[in-house]
Amino acid sequence: MDRAIIVDGLVKNFEVTEKEPGLSGAFKSLFSPKKKTVHALRGISFAIQPGELVGFIGPNGAGKTTTLKSLSGLLYPTSGFVEVLEFDPWNRNPEFLKQISLVMGQKNQLWWDLPAIETFELNRAIYDLPRRTYNENLRELVELLEIEKLLNIPVRKLSLGQRMRMELTAALLHKPKVLFLDEPTIGLDIIAQQKIRDFVYDYNLKSGATILLTSHNMDDLVNLARRVIIINNGRILYDGAFEKLISDYAPNKIIKARLSNEKNISDLEKIGKVKKISLPEVVISVPRSTAAIAASELLQNFPVDDLTIEEIPIEEIIRKAFKGKSQK
Amino acid sequence: MRKYLTIFRISIEEEFAYRLNFILWRVRNVLQIFLTYFLWSTVYSDSTREIFGYNRTKILTYVFGIMVVRALVFSARAMDVSNDVANGDLSNYLLKPIKYIKYWFTRDLASKTLNLIFSIFEFLLLFIILKPPLFLQTNLFLLLAFILSIVLAILIYFLILFLLSSIPFWVPEIGWGSHFLVTVVIAESLSGSLFPINILPQLLQSIVMTTPFPYLIYFPVEVYLGNITSWALVGGLIVAAAWVGILWFTLNIVWQKGLKVYQSIGR
Repeated sequence: MDRAIIVDGLVKNFEVTEKEPGLSGAFKSLFSPKKKTVHALRGISFAIQPGELVGFIGPNGAGKTTTLKSLSGLLYPTSGFVEVLEFDPWNRNPEFLKQISLVMGQKNQLWWDLPAIETFELNRAIYDLPRRTYNENLRELVELLEIEKLLNIPVRKLSLGQRMRMELTAALLHKPKVLFLDEPTIGLDIIAQQKIRDFVYDYNLKSGATILLTSHNMDDLVNLARRVIIINNGRILYDGAFEKLISDYAPNKIIKARLSNEKNISDLEKIGKVKKISLPEVVISVPRSTAAIAASELLQNFPVDDLTIEEIPIEEIIRKAFKGKSQK
Repeated sequence: MRKYLTIFRISIEEEFAYRLNFILWRVRNVLQIFLTYFLWSTVYSDSTREIFGYNRTKILTYVFGIMVVRALVFSARAMDVSNDVANGDLSNYLLKPIKYIKYWFTRDLASKTLNLIFSIFEFLLLFIILKPPLFLQTNLFLLLAFILSIVLAILIYFLILFLLSSIPFWVPEIGWGSHFLVTVVIAESLSGSLFPINILPQLLQSIVMTTPFPYLIYFPVEVYLGNITSWALVGGLIVAAAWVGILWFTLNIVWQKGLKVYQSIGR
């Protein structure tokens, strides 16, 4: 098998009922519902090799989640070809399901009122794992994710970050060959985000699993995915090396700073291109290679309270670099 | 098989996580039995009197029979399926090598086991308090028919719940309405859990007996009481079994179609 995932010309349309606002609107839609077709995917194609870690990036509503759901057999494709591990996901063959996992950042599979260990036990039974394999896998995940002390606490009492680590454990107990991660860092604080990213990176290296990870945030993919696919309005705009995307389309980084007073504010131009000043916040764009130097200069010469260095928002890259392509 | 045993065990643990909820539901059942008991006890205050073919002993056994049969048939969790479909939690199960319908049937069985244990205690408690004259069925054949009718009743109720829960595939905002209408209003009144169906006028009775509902409570209890025998018994079992078949067949078609339009929403 030289391809873990093959997608060719995948189209997915949804029928949605539109409602006008207010009570009269609700009444109208009761008798003459207005149907509208949403084109979530307009024919996307790509292939992924076993063991690859691919970042799927795009603004909200671009079609990332729809793609993952089609690949894991939850959605019935309107047209097009999908094959994962040589299975048609839609058939939901048990042998296929035993080799995949989908983790959604905003959905949980854990039993809310019971400790997470119960869900793990249940998954052991569902995936037919021998007791020994289960114990080994669990111990490994418990160590990697540092969840030893959380195993016996009812899930509803866990914090979001703790729950996410439990979700990952539940999803990985059966050692899936293909792992779909849908916005796994959404809503988490920066430290928790970094923990998840480190874990995903290590897991990919150690297990050799194929991982497809979505995000709407470029920062999520730095030092993680070597290959990225940019999707917008249900179409693929870019599919290639992350480094090349950065050098071709995002040569600059964004420094956001909070200043305690307005002293020397006109000198900011010397550091980089000033994008926005709405005091106390300033936003400066600087070349990637000199971002660190620019930041330290800023710290030395200006009254900085707080400072972050970020990637350019994906929406901006799409707007600038793929202007022609992203039109409907 | 082992996977469903584990589901069974965890479901029971979860019921205990909602202790208060469970206890209140049992209290409701006991109160309902009290109410029905005193109603019929008053109507049949003269123990020699026979109305609608029931004497005092049989009508009071009917009321007690309802308690146990209700615990077996009406205690179900499958109404939660509609939530799963409407808010996208169904996805969790579709992603796993597990049969969703079997999963919920197992959860129903767990709930029934727990309820049965409790209803036996309640039965003894009420028996001691009220000291009703009870009718004991001794005919082995009728007892077997009774058990068979209970199994069919459990299947019918489960399938009805599952079918109702499929509506959100097409109308996600339907919520609790359809369940209320069918499980509370129709099932309660037509199943015989408030009054025996054969006190209705003959024509209405024949119509009701062609629906699946009287086979939930009325039919099993009547079989136990020995009021339905020979051909009427066989005929009744056939109608109940036919309903299981029809509902199962419909459910399969509905689910195949439902999954195709399933949007797996809530992200």
